[in-house]
Amino acid sequence: MKTSTLSVEQVSHQFAGKNVLSSLSFSISEGEQVAIIGPSGAGKTTLLNILAGILEPSQGQVSLGQIPLSHLRDTKARAKQIGVIRQQFDLVKELPVYQNVLMGKMNDWHLARSLWSMISKTDKQLAGQTLEAVGLRDLLGQTTGSLSGGEQQRVAIARLILQDPKVILADEPIASLDPRWTKEVMDTLTGEARSRFKTLIAILHSTQVATTYFDRIIGLKDGHVQFDKKSCDLKDSDLQALYAQGPQEVDHG
Amino acid sequence: MGKSSKHFLSLVLLVAFGWSLTSLFHQDNLLHRGGMDALVSLGSAFLQPDLSRDILDIALVATLRTFSYAITSISLSLLVAFPLALLASGHVTSQPLVRTATRRLLGAMRGIHELIWAWFFVAAIGLSPFAAILALAIPYTGSLGRIWADQLEDIPRGPLLAAETSGGSKWQVIFFAVVPQGIGNMVSYGFYRLECALRSSAILSFVGLGGLGHEIHLSLSDLRFNEAATFLYALIFIVVLVDRWSAYTRRGMVH
Repeated sequence: MKTSTLSVEQVSHQFAGKNVLSSLSFSISEGEQVAIIGPSGAGKTTLLNILAGILEPSQGQVSLGQIPLSHLRDTKARAKQIGVIRQQFDLVKELPVYQNVLMGKMNDWHLARSLWSMISKTDKQLAGQTLEAVGLRDLLGQTTGSLSGGEQQRVAIARLILQDPKVILADEPIASLDPRWTKEVMDTLTGEARSRFKTLIAILHSTQVATTYFDRIIGLKDGHVQFDKKSCDLKDSDLQALYAQGPQEVDHG
Repeated sequence: MGKSSKHFLSLVLLVAFGWSLTSLFHQDNLLHRGGMDALVSLGSAFLQPDLSRDILDIALVATLRTFSYAITSISLSLLVAFPLALLASGHVTSQPLVRTATRRLLGAMRGIHELIWAWFFVAAIGLSPFAAILALAIPYTGSLGRIWADQLEDIPRGPLLAAETSGGSKWQVIFFAVVPQGIGNMVSYGFYRLECALRSSAILSFVGLGGLGHEIHLSLSDLRFNEAATFLYALIFIVVLVDRWSAYTRRGMVH
């Protein structure tokens, strides 16, 4: 087993007596890029929260290498292993862009060091270099709330780059975006993850985006793994079975 | 509550409101000749405030004293209310006991009016600026702490979760995600309380603590309405000044 292989072993989860996830098992190798698709209510976000260590599964275990996620209680230790990017960007809109990017260093910095970053020119330069990777260096000092949705999502990616986790979890990263930003954000996210050899797991609504950007697709339905295939092997019948009640935006995006 | 019960309650409130207005207009002594004369005198005094050098000097000293009471007491309130608001908002600890106890403390502080606090402190430490400052600072800490706690509680949770998953400690999350999201509203409310503190500071001086209220009281007692108008204009001036200061600061924060 590679040092950073993410293993999901017999994971089940219940909410109010209802099975949301049932005995999920799969593993994702270091550097692999995997999309998880499925209809609403399939348990995708619950799975992502479990993979992020935010939610403890009712049964089963998730491990990163040899370490069970449940052992990563300390937020700083966990943030070195797993980073999360969400649909709503979750940036502090009142802060300048570079401050949001520098929040990625919180796993290395204590409070006094973080406060120092507010006036440090070196730290501002570091944020600038990171923003360059996502094509937003010019927006360094702007108030984050004044940016477009696509720009904000790329700032969130820059924050993740600085956080430098081994695994990146993306929860519907393009769901709130205008279609013209979809390609730009997906190119940046997958490109940066690939060039830095990060494992990328993305929950997506659009099957077209999933098959375009990801080598491996896991189809989740009613808390079960419906299929786990290379995207080149995926057939229309797989998608029809997954979205049996009518495909949800099978080809949007 | 059923729809008919709501309608019934609304009707009861409407009747009570109408009855209270009727009782007001049935009072024989509501309007009387002497009162009207006084109102006319006051009105004309506002058109001709006393702008003599002596009165302007008194107005300046009284304005500075009123302003300094308000600024000192609100500064003290800001310092104490901020940590209490953080505790009451539940961001520092999720312990319900701490949150509830802090909210009760804030409630007790603002439960007593500043005038009552002033009487209490004048009785305890005599006529001193400290009596005025403490009398204002205590209830204002209670109000600031309570409203700030609510404002901090209502901020979007996503950025907090993101700061936490980026490895932020509790205090890093508070300083970089909680406070920046709440600070705009907190500053706005802080300035509003400063305006209130200016007015209250003037009222407090009626109990002998000096300042614009004291001067207005003396002028009205001697029926020197033109002098009273000058002092009232001074009070309006500093309230407007704080309003402009508040708007300027908020504009600076937005851009």
